[in-house]
Amino acid sequence: MTVIKSRRLREFIRYAVPLVIIPSLVLAGAFVFDRKRHILVSLAVALFSLLLFAAGFERRSTGTRRLVIVSVMTALAFSGRFIPFLKPVSAITIITALYLGGEAGFLVGALTAILANFYFGQGPWTAFQMLAWGLIGFTAGLLAPVLKKSRINLIIYGFISGIAYSFIMDIWTVLSYNDGKFGLKLYLAALTTAIPYTISYAVSNVIFLWFLADPFGRKLKRIVKKYNI
Amino acid sequence: MVRFHELNPAVIALWFFTVTGTAMFCSYPVICFLTLTAGVLLFLVRNGRNHLRTHLFFLILYVILTLANPLVSHNGKTVLFVMNDNPVTLEALLYGLNSATMLTGVLYMFRSFTQIMTSEKLLYITSLLSPKISLVLSMAVRYVPLFNRQGQKVSDTQKAMGLYADDNIIDDITGRMRIFSSVSTWALENGIVTADSMAARGFGTGRRTSLKRFSFTLTDTAFLIITVILASTVIVAAAQGSLEFDFYPEMSGIHPDHTGKAGLAAFLLLVLMPVFKETEALIKWKYSESKI
Repeated sequence: MTVIKSRRLREFIRYAVPLVIIPSLVLAGAFVFDRKRHILVSLAVALFSLLLFAAGFERRSTGTRRLVIVSVMTALAFSGRFIPFLKPVSAITIITALYLGGEAGFLVGALTAILANFYFGQGPWTAFQMLAWGLIGFTAGLLAPVLKKSRINLIIYGFISGIAYSFIMDIWTVLSYNDGKFGLKLYLAALTTAIPYTISYAVSNVIFLWFLADPFGRKLKRIVKKYNI
Repeated sequence: MVRFHELNPAVIALWFFTVTGTAMFCSYPVICFLTLTAGVLLFLVRNGRNHLRTHLFFLILYVILTLANPLVSHNGKTVLFVMNDNPVTLEALLYGLNSATMLTGVLYMFRSFTQIMTSEKLLYITSLLSPKISLVLSMAVRYVPLFNRQGQKVSDTQKAMGLYADDNIIDDITGRMRIFSSVSTWALENGIVTADSMAARGFGTGRRTSLKRFSFTLTDTAFLIITVILASTVIVAAAQGSLEFDFYPEMSGIHPDHTGKAGLAAFLLLVLMPVFKETEALIKWKYSESKI
């Protein structure tokens, strides 16, 4: 893995990429480019999340190890998408972010979206899914000290992130129905019709976090400590 | 003499994607027919008379796909007969025939594609875009079957130890959780081992190279240029609407204008390029053999 040496550059990338560059890229992809070039937008988002990931560590040896752990977690989240109705992707992204940092969480979320969509169908929504899962992971990384403190906090975060996922994806719903124009009324309507899905996202986050957070947390913590990642 | 499958992977992939893409997006009967013919020819040239079961499978699929449409769709003017109070129309039958031709043709093409494009070549193509993303993605893809295999091993071991699940649901679930937990610990540890092994072999110290070298020769360039020229002729014809065909409610005949004719001729050449390439090489080989 490439290592970014300058500390100030790292700090800049850490906040500018997930909060400014990638969201504007995704929105620009939906507004400006035509629909057929969506795969390019998704790949660009993947590249930027890799850059963000690279800003998350200082030593090269850590980088390669982290990269492999990220692909292990991505594979786990990806195989979890085959479970009907319940999706463990957010939960696994959050758990990764808690122990490996928000940058790794963002990468797991984004890569799972693009990878799983090779099976479930790529489209302009891929970029939105990447953004949504990525941000869920990134925020979990920022809130890690609070979330690690008690299980209740983690469950609440999981519930809220399920709702947030639906909120972000409904921006895409509105844009696709309305030919790339955004309307607040339509957005509210989309949010109301999506309530069953929103609930299923939130509930599956709660369930998976309840069952996976502790055992997985222990495993990741052990790996992080044992191999000094 | 370079055969088709020995060309640069990027060139091969471009050819496959333009042909199958054109066939899928422009379901003009002639184009579908040409795709199927060329797909079968390419497969035969490459494999000879083996793979009888593949052909049988595709034949059955073809018949099923053809017959499925008139049973489901009842659009069209010409009623052939009435079954269970539902009209079966000629248009729907021919529409089914057309889409079956298209699908079987594309499937034949993909059969050859998977034979030609080994995983190494696919990795080469994705690494042209971004080596790191392609590495992480291909590792994640490889992990899924690996986890399944390891899970099977753990499960077998547990069975041998007498920890097998009974009919009891709770027992079954706890057993599976135990397996999942052990597999994920193993996966993380194994990942670290992989990472260390990668680091030891110099991962990240320089530019990534491919195990096999894929050079871009003059033949590749020529093949690429011809592909692009022919494909753009077809695309122009399709974009101008010269290659449109309506099945419902009444079939429009096949009367292409000049652009359409040019597009069809270009597609004929495009679709047969690999067959030419393979047979040319075979003939040259035979000829040089007979000289010896």
